[in-house]
Amino acid sequence: MSKNGKSLWSMKFNTATLVLIPAAIGINYLGKLFAGALKLPLWLDSIGTCLAAMLAGPIAGAICGAANNIIYGLTMDPISTVYALTNIAIGLAVGILSYKGFMKNIKLSLLTAIIVGFVAVVVSTPLNVIFWGGTTGNIWGDAVYAWALAQNMPVFLASFLDEVIVDLPDKIAVILIVFGIGKGLPKSLIALYQSGDTIESLDD
Amino acid sequence: MKSISLYEEKGSLLNKLAPESKILYIIIALLLPVIMGSRWVSIGFIAVSFFLLLISKVLRKTVPILSISGFVLLTVVIIQGIFRAGNVTPVFAVGPVSFYKEGLMFAFEIVVNVLNILLSFCVLILTAKPSDIVENFVRKGFSPRFGYVFISVFQIVPQMTETMSTITDAQRSRGMETEGNLLVRIKAFGPLISPVVMSSLINTRERALALEVRGFNARNKKTFLNDEKKCGADKYIQLGMLAMLIAGIVWRVAGWR
Repeated sequence: MSKNGKSLWSMKFNTATLVLIPAAIGINYLGKLFAGALKLPLWLDSIGTCLAAMLAGPIAGAICGAANNIIYGLTMDPISTVYALTNIAIGLAVGILSYKGFMKNIKLSLLTAIIVGFVAVVVSTPLNVIFWGGTTGNIWGDAVYAWALAQNMPVFLASFLDEVIVDLPDKIAVILIVFGIGKGLPKSLIALYQSGDTIESLDD
Repeated sequence: MKSISLYEEKGSLLNKLAPESKILYIIIALLLPVIMGSRWVSIGFIAVSFFLLLISKVLRKTVPILSISGFVLLTVVIIQGIFRAGNVTPVFAVGPVSFYKEGLMFAFEIVVNVLNILLSFCVLILTAKPSDIVENFVRKGFSPRFGYVFISVFQIVPQMTETMSTITDAQRSRGMETEGNLLVRIKAFGPLISPVVMSSLINTRERALALEVRGFNARNKKTFLNDEKKCGADKYIQLGMLAMLIAGIVWRVAGWR
């Protein structure tokens, strides 16, 4: 959020930040579960990562993204482990942007969402090409992929378009949800994750 | 509470082995085919993984994992079979669309690769308890604080899933619609997710206090609740797999001459 005296790249985490990471992974998991239960055409599985990045900075966001996909890999879908790279990038991007004040109002949040969406696409596309030959498993995205291949476009471009169709709306929805939640959080909670090691004196 | 891990203790050979041995197995199952540059190596590892899962009596548990990727693999076969650039030799036709040999061969390679990844991971995740894996990493020097982060996910997620069903029931009883057209369902997402998010963030404050009171930040050497998971065969298995990896590299380097 705002400037708070704590270095952006600090690796020193207080206990509250460490505890935030598992909670954020849980939120990711629930987002995916709710999206599935409501049959929404989006994944919505990075709400926690973005929230952690916004509250506790890019490093916490990146660790959260990595841990999230490793645990996914260990429980449900081994291939998703390699997409830890995408989630690390998302965590870093949201953390940096929100530190620079890009999550202040809804217009800037939308811009953040588009930047984060493209970051995710750029990281995911090579992974899609290596592991799946370019498809994503999403019907709409794959239809675009098939159309692009039929137009004799190169695989990378087709896969890029496929991923844009899937990822960009997803990230816009996620960031807007995170923005909404961030507005509703009590200040005392936000301060919890941003406290540095130094204690400020009120005497002087 | 339902655990999110698919692990099950069956007292099998794989259950007794140290998690590191199984992680090493994943590494060589994924690296050797790349090093040796042959898909037959992948097929060999698929067979080995299949056999290991069979004798550990967990083959049935691979079904949910395979079915997640199975659908994606199906689309890969269809799309590459029909649309891949360089498709020239038709094999068969379904109605007006024909499938081509080149695309199908490419899709077959992807299927083999993905199956190899899935089954070798299954060897680890169906036979090793997540907390044992993390504890063994901490014993080898991984930060115990981050070790806690990983282990606690396995406790927090089932708790949150329970909260989720409570909240879904509560919101439904207040008249919120969760079924209907897309707009209705999108509108339902906010009221469902935000209470869980808020409550779990507020819980982190209490959990942090509870941990600190119990010496979470103490710098003393930590002790472990459970005994280390390993058996006598582990050393030989790990050495054997390293030898295979080196042999593969030597074979490839010698083949280049």
